[in-house]
Amino acid sequence: MTAYDYLSLLQGAAVTVSLSLVGIIIGVPLGLVLALARWSEVPALARAVAAYVSVLRATPLVTLALLVFFALPNVGVPIDPVPAAIVSITMNTAAFNCEIWRAALNDFPRTQLDAATAVGMTPGLAFRRIVFPQIWRISLPGLVNEMTLLIKSSPAIAVVGIVDITRAAVRIGAQTYEPLPPFLTATALYFLVVLGFVRAQRSIEVHLDRKFGFA
Amino acid sequence: MPSHPARATADTAAHPSPLSGASERPVLEVDGIWKKFGDHDVLVDVSLSVRRGQTVCILGPSGSGKSTLLRCVNWLERPDHGHIYLSGQRIGFRQKSELPMSQAELAPIRARIGMVFQHFNLWPHLTVLGNLIEAPIFVQRRPREEVIAEAEALLEKIDLREKRDVYPARLSGGQKQRVAIARALAMRPSVLLFDEATSALDPELMGEVLVVMEELAKDGMTMVVVTHEMGFARDAADEIVFLDRGRVVEVSPPDKFFDVPKTERARQFLQRYGSSLRTGLRDVRASEARQ
Ligand SMILES: Nc1ncnc2c1ncn2[C@@H]1O[C@H](COP(=O)(O)OP(=O)(O)OP(=O)(O)O)[C@@H](O)[C@H]1O
Ligand SMILES: [Mg+2]
Repeated sequence: MTAYDYLSLLQGAAVTVSLSLVGIIIGVPLGLVLALARWSEVPALARAVAAYVSVLRATPLVTLALLVFFALPNVGVPIDPVPAAIVSITMNTAAFNCEIWRAALNDFPRTQLDAATAVGMTPGLAFRRIVFPQIWRISLPGLVNEMTLLIKSSPAIAVVGIVDITRAAVRIGAQTYEPLPPFLTATALYFLVVLGFVRAQRSIEVHLDRKFGFA
Repeated sequence: MPSHPARATADTAAHPSPLSGASERPVLEVDGIWKKFGDHDVLVDVSLSVRRGQTVCILGPSGSGKSTLLRCVNWLERPDHGHIYLSGQRIGFRQKSELPMSQAELAPIRARIGMVFQHFNLWPHLTVLGNLIEAPIFVQRRPREEVIAEAEALLEKIDLREKRDVYPARLSGGQKQRVAIARALAMRPSVLLFDEATSALDPELMGEVLVVMEELAKDGMTMVVVTHEMGFARDAADEIVFLDRGRVVEVSPPDKFFDVPKTERARQFLQRYGSSLRTGLRDVRASEARQ
């Protein structure tokens, strides 16, 4: 493997990390919004979200990416590979994040909400001041787990022509006829990326604990 | 609406509180409330009114609808029929229309009604002080320094100043309930609702909470108290409202209610629950508190 090959693997890592990050930054709050829609007990809204989540959870990321990239132009919405990848990653991870937030919301004691309502909090204020500061802590491990799963399923977006870590390794392996070094390097890169996310979770926890923490 | 027995309201009983002028509109009026859960009538044409400074105790067997009644007062539960008025203002419906209020419209009215729950319902992620100042700051939008000063004075009053920065998980049940009372008081409510505030407590912790409640009653706080503590009801109430199977069966001053109950249902109830007339025990507590 040449220095150039290593560089292209690193570029692939940058693509994997940045697309995953964008997916996470949009997908985590979007998942919360979806979970709140289900929690709101507005029947039509809750059912629509439930349907979305069950379809998205059953759809492999590869299939979703192909669907977005090839089907959207068919209905008159041309889309480039990068936006197609972001859209499919975000839709996919938001569905899983929705379930994580929803579990925390379902477990949240009604009694605390009664107390908030009784002192005159609107639902929005009660969510911001009482519910969210407690459920993020419960949801964080599940969310980070979903992030690592997302990173590991991200090679799927190569089908729309994006060169991520795995795609770069395949290319190098095909050119050099030595698949072992690029794939070992790719494995190491995934490990480092996931390690980075887990580390980030810890420091976010510590930071937020200091801000909202409770014994 | 089906026919119903004559409405018993607290107004009909000649037992005015010394604090309230006869002409003043009651702080709280419950006017003909009905509530069904499924096809089960939980409240049937319930009316009562509470004047300023009065303590009204609601007694009744388990399942008679006492909690539901309190929850209807601040619209945590929506009554099917009837009206609630707080200082003359109708709760739950917009003026001059039958359109229900939104949550945002209900919120400022609820802020004027304090509620103390059986299981305290403190917010575990906030300290004791945090629980007290949360709603005054974020609901009433009062200045932080003023709110903190007032909260500290309240903690002093309930003898929990040293727990100011402690989280609820570290408090005993009795301490939690006193904090919950202080949290309600921090809103400067016009009326305080208590739903079996001592039922979840070990007997040896009830006293410290009952003493606080008794003092509030004495200080002229307007209170509606659901309780199974007959001793408290007899000593602190200006009026007893006896609820049975969702109906107001009897409204009497406490001495009348406990000594010569008007109805057979009330007599049966007192036979069953009268054993919790812990007068002796309560006298001990009261004298402890005075020292
Ligand atoms: N949300 C609800 N859904 C269905 N039924 C309910 C609901 N809340 C209360 N009930 C029923 O309404 C009746 C009255 O309940 P409520 O809690 O008001 O009684 P209570 O007098 O407070 O009893 P307790 O002394 O046990 O607290 C009970 O039969 C109860 O099962
Ligand atoms: Mg009850």
